[in-house]
Amino acid sequence: MDTLQHLTTGLAAAMSLQNFSFALIGCILGTLIGVLPGLGPAAGTAILIPLTFKLDPTGALIMLTAIYYGAMYGGTITSVLINVPGEAASVVTCFDGHQMAKQGRAGTALGIAAIGSFIGGITATIALVAVAPPLARMALSFGPPEFFALMLVGLCLITGLAGRSVLAGIVMAVLGLLIAMVGIDPVRGAPRFTFGIPSLYDGVGFIPVVMGLFGVAEILLTVEAPYRQVISTKITQLLPTREEWRRSMGAIARGTGIGFFLGLIPGVGAIIPTFVAYVLEKRISKTPERFGQGAIEGVAAPESANNAYANAAMIPLLTLGIPSSPTIAVLMGAFIVNGLTPGPFLFKERPDLVWAVIASFFLGNILLLVLNLPLVGLWARLLRLPYQYVCVGTLLFCVIGAYSLQQNVFDVGVMIVCGVIGYGLRKIDLPIAPLVLGLILGPFLEKSLRTSLEMSGGDFSIFFTRPLCVTLLVIAAVVLLASALRLPPAQVREAAND
Amino acid sequence: MRRGWQVACVCLLGVFGAALVTSLGYSLSDALGPGPGFFPFWLSLIGAVLTGMILVQTGRSTLLTDGGIKILPTRQAALQAGSVLVALTAAAALFEPLGFRLTMLPFVAGLLLALGARSPLAIALCAVAGSFGVFHVFFYWLKVPLPIGALGI
Repeated sequence: MDTLQHLTTGLAAAMSLQNFSFALIGCILGTLIGVLPGLGPAAGTAILIPLTFKLDPTGALIMLTAIYYGAMYGGTITSVLINVPGEAASVVTCFDGHQMAKQGRAGTALGIAAIGSFIGGITATIALVAVAPPLARMALSFGPPEFFALMLVGLCLITGLAGRSVLAGIVMAVLGLLIAMVGIDPVRGAPRFTFGIPSLYDGVGFIPVVMGLFGVAEILLTVEAPYRQVISTKITQLLPTREEWRRSMGAIARGTGIGFFLGLIPGVGAIIPTFVAYVLEKRISKTPERFGQGAIEGVAAPESANNAYANAAMIPLLTLGIPSSPTIAVLMGAFIVNGLTPGPFLFKERPDLVWAVIASFFLGNILLLVLNLPLVGLWARLLRLPYQYVCVGTLLFCVIGAYSLQQNVFDVGVMIVCGVIGYGLRKIDLPIAPLVLGLILGPFLEKSLRTSLEMSGGDFSIFFTRPLCVTLLVIAAVVLLASALRLPPAQVREAAND
Repeated sequence: MRRGWQVACVCLLGVFGAALVTSLGYSLSDALGPGPGFFPFWLSLIGAVLTGMILVQTGRSTLLTDGGIKILPTRQAALQAGSVLVALTAAAALFEPLGFRLTMLPFVAGLLLALGARSPLAIALCAVAGSFGVFHVFFYWLKVPLPIGALGI
């Protein structure tokens, strides 16, 4: 009953003219980011954070979350029309979506993707409403050792699943944690790694680093290999035929379930649910040979999984303060920029904000369906925009975003350096996701470790005498061990570095 | 690919080594427990050891073959990527002395030209929109502080 009351209040807040406008603008911008190849949701969300600097936190977060799932939604259009995923999670949609477009069924592919995404998103949000409050209440009983262990699990999952080498994943996470140590020590107040540079006293800004690693690096890669032109296809008949509906409904239901449950696990990343949903459909199909040749289930299942994941991935962030992927880490950064720390205390201290944001997910999914079905032709036309203009526009936003957070040119420099580093890492296939997660979780991880050790007078046994903490540490160890033994399939490991 | 990983490992070893030495200058523990140097010290040490292991593995492994993947860009691509970096660096240097609008006007126009845009009208329109237009939207509508230069523009 309490939850329903909160949800009703949240819906009222989300439906206010101001917040509705923010959700609408966020959905449009997000879809635009998803549509434009070479600009992923992490970079897109990061570069649009400056738009929200002067908004109230509720409006800002409604807009940024709308950008996030709008981008997840919009990536489908490029996958279908030019066989280039607008964002990593849409890779799987290319397999059958583009084949459908080649057969003159682009409209049906985009239509079923929009419908599947809508069903996946709405179902996951309903489940989020049911799951989040009890999980947040449970997390309130966690002490610093449990939070330390929990963050370690998240880092291990991201690290273990990212890239071709688990060692490289750990090193990148350690590098992220180390960069997070720059600035004033959060416990004692002593400066560390500041080298007398005043701009470093507040630490290395998360936003400039993310804009560099994702935004600038992405542009450097794009100018090196510009994306292809859209194929000429007329988008007609968005709604599937009766037979296509029959084939798609089960796929959408299974995709939604897979996306939701994998979204609950920190570190899984957006692409794995889509792969799992696709593989499952192919396995259970009586005609698996149709997959890769334009099977509608091959679009419906991954798209539903993608959006169910996007909404479910907000659960670990909102209830435990653990970001599941780099994009969610960027959203966590946006919470922090607005003076809010995601986690169980947010439910207690700012229920108005949390529930307005959750309620806006319902609104956003409806808005996205409206934007995606009738306006799909318009989005497709945007693909004809020459890449030079997209690159320069993105760089312009990156400069504004890096500068305006602290009005410091030093941050623009940090962004440029990180852009070069990100470009290099992408070229040699070193994972960036663990670095970003390490950077955002670093201060929290250190604080909970040191507070735990202060509680025990420096005795590390505090981590091994609390049952929940031990369980979480064992999970972290098992995840790393399994990854080191290369148990997750290669495609999953390489794809997880979204 | 293998050479790329080796170069990256050497760079990382340099970073972790420097961080390790620097962190020794902070106290590792104090009366209340771990000190400011505790976390950085252990992170640097772990990072350095693991990077060393990757370096050894990379030397022996057959997994990191080039596999036809071209790491170094073509001359044309390198020039374009270089022009992006030069433009960004110049913009960062001139941002505060010249102000947002006067910096971004040549930034947008120059970068579009460098990346291969050829329509003078489109370039001019984008440059004005990307400098004066964007400034107006962010500064006046969104209240995001952007620099105004010495000339008051």
